[in-house]
Amino acid sequence: MIDQMIYQSGVRHTLVLCLILIAFGAAFYKVAHHPSTATFQLPASYQHDGELKTGTLPTSDASPGFSTHFVSTQQNISTHAASLVELSDGRIRAFWFAGSREGAEDVEIRSAVFDPAKNLWGPEQSIANREDTQRPLLRYVKKLGNPVAQRGPDGTLWLYYVTVSLGGWAGSSITVITSSNDGATWSPARRLITSPFINISTLIKGTPFLYSDGTMGLPVYHEFIGKFGELLRINSNGEIIDKQRLSSGKSTLQPVMLIKSPQQALVLMRRSGSSPKRVIATATDDAGQHWSAPAKTTLANPDAAISGVALPGGRILVVLNNIEDGRDALSLVVSADGGATWKTVYQLEDQRGQPIEVAHYLQAAGESAKATDASITDASGYAKSAQRSKCESRICAFEFSYPYLIQARNGDFHLVYTWNRSFIKHVRFTNAWLDQRMKNNSDAQLH
Amino acid sequence: MIAALLLLPGIAHTSTKTVLSKPHRAILLGTVFVLMLVPFGAMPVAAYVRGVTGDLSITTLVLLCCALMKQWCDCVTAEGKQRRALLMMIALFALALYPMALGIGGYDPYRLGYGDPLFIFVLLLLVLFAWFLKFPLVVLCIALATLAWATGWYESTNVWDYLIDPFVSVYALAVITIRGAKNYIKFQPNRSC
Repeated sequence: MIDQMIYQSGVRHTLVLCLILIAFGAAFYKVAHHPSTATFQLPASYQHDGELKTGTLPTSDASPGFSTHFVSTQQNISTHAASLVELSDGRIRAFWFAGSREGAEDVEIRSAVFDPAKNLWGPEQSIANREDTQRPLLRYVKKLGNPVAQRGPDGTLWLYYVTVSLGGWAGSSITVITSSNDGATWSPARRLITSPFINISTLIKGTPFLYSDGTMGLPVYHEFIGKFGELLRINSNGEIIDKQRLSSGKSTLQPVMLIKSPQQALVLMRRSGSSPKRVIATATDDAGQHWSAPAKTTLANPDAAISGVALPGGRILVVLNNIEDGRDALSLVVSADGGATWKTVYQLEDQRGQPIEVAHYLQAAGESAKATDASITDASGYAKSAQRSKCESRICAFEFSYPYLIQARNGDFHLVYTWNRSFIKHVRFTNAWLDQRMKNNSDAQLH
Repeated sequence: MIAALLLLPGIAHTSTKTVLSKPHRAILLGTVFVLMLVPFGAMPVAAYVRGVTGDLSITTLVLLCCALMKQWCDCVTAEGKQRRALLMMIALFALALYPMALGIGGYDPYRLGYGDPLFIFVLLLLVLFAWFLKFPLVVLCIALATLAWATGWYESTNVWDYLIDPFVSVYALAVITIRGAKNYIKFQPNRSC
């Protein structure tokens, strides 16, 4: 009897050892096939030998150098957090969230497509809602927000968006859907696991990028106990294969990745908290293996999102609320020295110092809407939509926020931002227009 | 989803074992399990649980299974020295991971879980040490967690999520803290008034 017990114990002990060998054999096999570190891939719009790559993509020769439109058309709803991605044929697709109010259960992710050849936006459509998201995830979803899109190296569109199951935005997780036909149809939702603490508090805003080996980079940020930025590295199966911390503490959000070369990048981050009211920057010279200590720049920041693109020759273009308080002014600034100094080249919006009682707000908002798109016939409807979102009692506020800037492969720049929390506004400008503005502003005050 | 289905029955079983008889507990356990599958609104109850908890770690699943099976099978035990070793390991993992992963300091140990070879090697050493000490429960937790990670069992691609989760971490830290406090009180010298 005792011999039998010893024998069974020995067999069990051996079986456990076999389990160890199998488990760790599989683990080391996985580790051996883990992608190695990679350099950054320069954006497709980069100049080569001084020539813009245009190919057969729609050019902007016949289009004005600067034009504006409204992307969204639904009135009397809350609209926010737009992003852009260029499609395979050169058209531009925008995504944003909209609903009765931010965080409501009826908020959905919406999208529309811009045709550069016609200089027109197509009708908007719903891409994802709460019910469609929670069913494939097999988990309850309370609200959606912040869509960010990326084009993978094989042309697949990846749409990341934030979902919350419990609590506020600090409880966010990232969900992703993909499309192999430029957004006509989408895959079921799947969840990215980015944090060990019940996977909460990872949000997205900054433009994604690519690594040289085809893996995808996604700037993210945490907003729970700490507020800090990170970079996720994602493979073509949608699996996270690495994560890098860009900052720590409680003061930086929404990193924006600006790739200067395969090894060098500058990351600008939104300042959150009290002082300093400046955009925070960190940089790398070794493709992200090490990042410099975050430091404040000369760009003002009222705890609001920023966006930017890096251009060849060291120029960096950034769109931001270049003020210390409020979001009623939006500026296009450029740096010609890799981010050391900045100049404002164009004031996209400026409603600072305007009286904010309702009657004047409605008039100013209506004029702003008409200036954005001369073809709209219901400027008062746009103004009343803005009033719904931005007026409380008799007090109103202008808001131009959450910019998202990209440069298309034909060199044109496309910018979207939230217009008074009620519409998404699109601005398109060419390199020639930008160069002219920079020439006109050569004496502009340095920041 | 399996983890969410097991969580509430496991809690129900553990909380009623001194109150209900074995057959009644079996009925309660089965009833709670079935209720977890019943749609409530658009989703089964288990989906609401999963929305809050996410996927539980393999360690939690092993402990839940031990708790559920204990009354009906002596094949697995989570008692004595082995249980203390497992809880201590969980507590140390939690203290090493959560504060820094949530932003305290600039270093993120969670990053190691995406496939750092040295981290996997350290886990191998740990599991071989547990095997040598004949702690099969500790070995099961680490080995099954590692195997589940290697085969992509969950949505997570990080081995930390298979090793521990906030729930088993809180449980381990609470048990160790309470035991430590009891031992401290027990061994205090008598004071004269």
